[in-house]
Amino acid sequence: MRMLLERRQAVFGSTVQGHIDDLYRYAYWLCRNRWRAEDLVQETLTRAWRGWADLREARVVKSWLFTILYHEFARDAARPQAEPGAPEELQEPYVNDDPALALDLGRALEGIGEESRHALLLQVLGGFSCAEIAGVLGSTEGAVMTRLSRARQALRRALEPSDFGKEAKDA
Amino acid sequence: MSCLEFRRAVTIDPRRLDPQARTHAETCVACREFLARSLAFEDRLASALKIPLPPGLSERMARAATVSPGSRRWFALAASLILAVALAAFLAWPRNDPLALAGIDFVVFEESQAIADAKPADAAVLQRVARGMGVALPAQLGEVRYVGTCPFAGTTAYHVLVKSPLGKVTLLLIPDRPLASRVAASARGLEAAVVPALGGSVAIIGGTARGIVRAETLLKTG
Repeated sequence: MRMLLERRQAVFGSTVQGHIDDLYRYAYWLCRNRWRAEDLVQETLTRAWRGWADLREARVVKSWLFTILYHEFARDAARPQAEPGAPEELQEPYVNDDPALALDLGRALEGIGEESRHALLLQVLGGFSCAEIAGVLGSTEGAVMTRLSRARQALRRALEPSDFGKEAKDA
Repeated sequence: MSCLEFRRAVTIDPRRLDPQARTHAETCVACREFLARSLAFEDRLASALKIPLPPGLSERMARAATVSPGSRRWFALAASLILAVALAAFLAWPRNDPLALAGIDFVVFEESQAIADAKPADAAVLQRVARGMGVALPAQLGEVRYVGTCPFAGTTAYHVLVKSPLGKVTLLLIPDRPLASRVAASARGLEAAVVPALGGSVAIIGGTARGIVRAETLLKTG
């Protein structure tokens, strides 16, 4: 019995481990807080482990995990949050090669609306197709395509205003 | 495919263009350049989104997920119980006080030599010292077999050997060593207690705890 459990744990670990980095980044860009991102991923994995026995197709593990995280984020966002301005709610900048771009990107992502943000992050970080994103978000492929198009245009307008202006003129 | 349709397809997913769109890019210079700029932006975007990860994140999280909250609670409860038992044992365990332990060591390793070497002290002097310390040396203590002085714990002690009804008891009257509260030790088959006196302290060393308590009670009658 114990050996069976250990075997199941090992299979689960090796299957989900490859997706945890992307899950964490997805969670981070949704909440912009490292601790909340870790909590979201941990809760996602805990729920995934509980439902592991019912999972029939190994090839859908990735979209399944992202779907759990998407719902977990929605649940978390619906809970009463700490007072605005409380230290744990402050958005944290992170260190990367281009901190100015990171700050602008954070602001731009805030501005594109939640559903568009989900769609874009799922595509860029998760590498999902429009049909898969629609499955995760419980939406239609057409709606996802519209959101992605709008999201990209808004981001380019915010992050590359000169290039975007030129293209708009060309078009 | 028109240029407008192509550009819409690029803004939806620049990395997954269908064959029609790819053909259009090959024939339209402006759209090819648009695609190149879009892919460059896509690279910047992907790179900016790839934030650094906490060390050991995936291993830690995958491992923690398979430990059910029930198990975690059980482990936490077990750990708390073990800690509580260990703490209780630590608090209840008789700990040897260094001064009392020094009394036992004196009896085991030095007493016979001290008796052999020392010049026996005057019993009258001992009574005077005891009175000065507020300590009684009643006859009920037992038969005093030896009275002397000896070095002990960095000072001079009055060394008294008593044959009590409960066995041999060694008393060390230490006028220069005040003590805040009673301390005790148990080692090498002997028991020891050092009790505070009005002036200084008295170490009582014997074979049994009963013998120690008896002597302690009698000493306090002074």
